Amino acid sequence: MGGEPARFESVYQETYGRITAYAARRCDSPQDAADVVAETFAIAWRRIGEVPEGERALLWLYGVARKVLANHYRVEGRRQALSVELDAELADLYQAAPDSGVELAAIAQIFRALPDNDRELLSLVAWEGLDREQIATVLGLSRNAVRIRLHRARRRFARALAEADVHVTSESRLVPAQEGRL
Amino acid sequence: MRNIDDIDGITRALARVEPGRPGGDPSGAGARALLAAITGERPAQPERPEQAAITGERLAQPERSEQATITGERPEQPERSGQPAPSDARRRPRRRPARRPVRRLVLGLAGAGLLAAGIAVGPGLLEEGGTPSYAVTREPGGVVYVQIRDFRDKEGLARRLAELNVPAIVDYAPPGKWCREPRGTLVEDIPRGLYSPPENIPGERPGPGWQMRIDTRLFRPGQTFVWTISERATTTYLMSGPVAPCVLVPDTTHDLKVVESDYRIATRKGGSLAGFRVDEKTVGEVLPEIERRGLKVEYLIMQVAPDNPGGYGELRTQTEPVGDDWIVWEAEEPARGPGRIRLLVTDKRFDRNPVYGGPRDAVIQE
Repeated sequence: MGGEPARFESVYQETYGRITAYAARRCDSPQDAADVVAETFAIAWRRIGEVPEGERALLWLYGVARKVLANHYRVEGRRQALSVELDAELADLYQAAPDSGVELAAIAQIFRALPDNDRELLSLVAWEGLDREQIATVLGLSRNAVRIRLHRARRRFARALAEADVHVTSESRLVPAQEGRL
Repeated sequence: MRNIDDIDGITRALARVEPGRPGGDPSGAGARALLAAITGERPAQPERPEQAAITGERLAQPERSEQATITGERPEQPERSGQPAPSDARRRPRRRPARRPVRRLVLGLAGAGLLAAGIAVGPGLLEEGGTPSYAVTREPGGVVYVQIRDFRDKEGLARRLAELNVPAIVDYAPPGKWCREPRGTLVEDIPRGLYSPPENIPGERPGPGWQMRIDTRLFRPGQTFVWTISERATTTYLMSGPVAPCVLVPDTTHDLKVVESDYRIATRKGGSLAGFRVDEKTVGEVLPEIERRGLKVEYLIMQVAPDNPGGYGELRTQTEPVGDDWIVWEAEEPARGPGRIRLLVTDKRFDRNPVYGGPRDAVIQE
């Protein structure tokens, strides 16, 4: 019996940074993000026997977090994760907001208007730095399906940007120096 | 149309947390608190319906049982190491456990020189017109001090607590009323040091006001402080999960907790134990005298905050004997109908008498 808590703890240590980032990138408030993180790991704890080994543990958790996020709803006056510290830590991430220039805000708005599935595909590539095979695992799709859907998502996003007449004048400004692509 | 790299680059720029960077730090306080909260619970048996929900199908709503786990409740489930559960029990989706009718006064107050089962406050709370009705201050480390002088400004207090991230619900009960209980699930396992029993406000003479120390770092996800405050009594419950709103119902039990009309010190002049001091003796030392005087005995098990700031909470009152080596801090008896002695006891010795915040002689001179 000693093995499962230890295993969970090591998975937690390994993935906490990335799951918090995942949640913070997708939630509008640190409180929501804290809820998603708490709920995701609570599910992992309860299903530790199903969590795959190695790198796939993270992909499994992304998959859970995505479902949690999709089903996340707030009952007024009630929070899943009432942890002051967790809120505070995640709130720090929200203060360090990405460039909030007018142009980027416009792009963000267009991005938010994309279909959920498009957004998630684009995000998993650009934010979590996953490759197609990893995305296929997270989303429970075939690799080919990911390839096709990703292509379409990119096209839709590009078209929406063009329609909104958003000009990205300086690519270098928009692309963070730190490259996370695979 | 832009090429793929453009699109991915634009998307990357939108990330709140820069790609490649972690969000939180697993060794941070938030991460550790969450880990402790989650692993404080037993892992559940895998269950078919829930598994299906996770591996493919959409959930219309989060399952109740899942919420129960996350909010800190312990779902009733078979012991993993124990007898295997009947298979039908395993298959049934778990529901929130039935609310336990346990009602526990988590904290009472005895300010210095004041003996009380509940928080005892007398009239005259509006005397100090110049002082603010409450004060909530926060130290950098996350410790919050709450001082309450007027029990009617619940909105102000609740707002201030919310500002400081203290998950609290505050209700005011007017005379003769109380919130219908139970309102939620009580937390059985209260972290040590989460909050202190109320004590006198430093620098003020003992009065109706009190102060309490709360370490906000020790709250676990889903926990809420539920305060019901009135001129006569205050209850402080730590609850997990949803808390029902206060529905005022007629109530007199909390009125009875006003000290003077309920219990009095038995060792003072005129008391059943007059002339016999019990404070700071062991139970074994005082029982023979109580028996000799033909009195019955019961025990109020005191809860003392870690740093023994003065004051105590009431864990429970029982007639079952406690150990002879337990420490007695005072003896009380009902103001009406003496003949029964209630010993205020702890299972270990403290450096000073929690009932009086120091030696009894400093408070009671006879």
